[in-house]
Amino acid sequence: MNWEQKIEQLAARARDESPPCVDVTCRVLGLLQAGQVQPLTVTERLWMWLAAVSSVIAVPAAAAAFILYTRSAGPLNQIAEAISWAIQ
Amino acid sequence: MIDASSLMSEPAGFEAIIVEMVRALAHSAHAKQPDVPADSGSADLEDVRLAGRGDGDAYRRLVERHQDHVGRILWRFSRDRRVHEELVQDVFVESYLSLSHYRGKAPFERWLARIATRVGYRYWKQKARRRRTEPFDIQEWDKATDGDSVLEALEPDQAAEMLHRVFEQLAPRDRLVLTLRYLEQCDVVETAQRTGWTKTMVKVQTMRARNRLRKLLEHTGMESIR
Repeated sequence: MNWEQKIEQLAARARDESPPCVDVTCRVLGLLQAGQVQPLTVTERLWMWLAAVSSVIAVPAAAAAFILYTRSAGPLNQIAEAISWAIQ
Repeated sequence: MIDASSLMSEPAGFEAIIVEMVRALAHSAHAKQPDVPADSGSADLEDVRLAGRGDGDAYRRLVERHQDHVGRILWRFSRDRRVHEELVQDVFVESYLSLSHYRGKAPFERWLARIATRVGYRYWKQKARRRRTEPFDIQEWDKATDGDSVLEALEPDQAAEMLHRVFEQLAPRDRLVLTLRYLEQCDVVETAQRTGWTKTMVKVQTMRARNRLRKLLEHTGMESIR
């Protein structure tokens, strides 16, 4: 018997198991009635979408800003070095 | 000469035959599904409709009707009774929150099974992040799977516990697909529905998970591949 046949046989035995009984009716309804769980309102959904869209825009914008900065920082550094050399 | 009264009565008789035929067909369709109560689907739909309008009693009936089924699914995800109960509770809270998305195209039970799978999978991912995995006893595996008679002598709960601990050594994604395929006996289509993955992804994931399981058993010396 190979490993898979053993797993299959174990699974077949495991399927006969009776799971423990659960009764969550009171707890679920208690949570819902207490107002601890509420579906998102239209405004909340709108804010959620706004947050998602702005983070999608923010990441490429930050990357573009970093690239622009590194490109423009090179000549600026050269100018600064030239000035400090001229002062000396 | 044609009798006017016979013309009037003929369509009524014809309609009655059609009605009888439809009834007979409907009766035979129900007779082919002995496990599904004839009115459970319509009762669910009605209760979903009422619960959507804020009827607490309707939602209570839904929870009472389906908690055993959800509990059975989630027992594969956690064998800790306290966690299990919390997961079942989470499923019904989530299902209440997304009740407006239920269109009634699939049975409510199947819709709940998808939510239960998602909740269970999320629990596994959280557990994996916290790295809380029970150590696996290799000797116990060897002893338990040494020969057909020993495997057959295992009690169902012992077999389930053993399988749970073996699958626990895998990544949540692998564990999910193996649990659905082996324990729940879901085919590719059903696994795709339960996980929200594509059918191709299910096939690829099953193959990868099986390879990882094989390697795990080889690596730990639990099994030699023949």
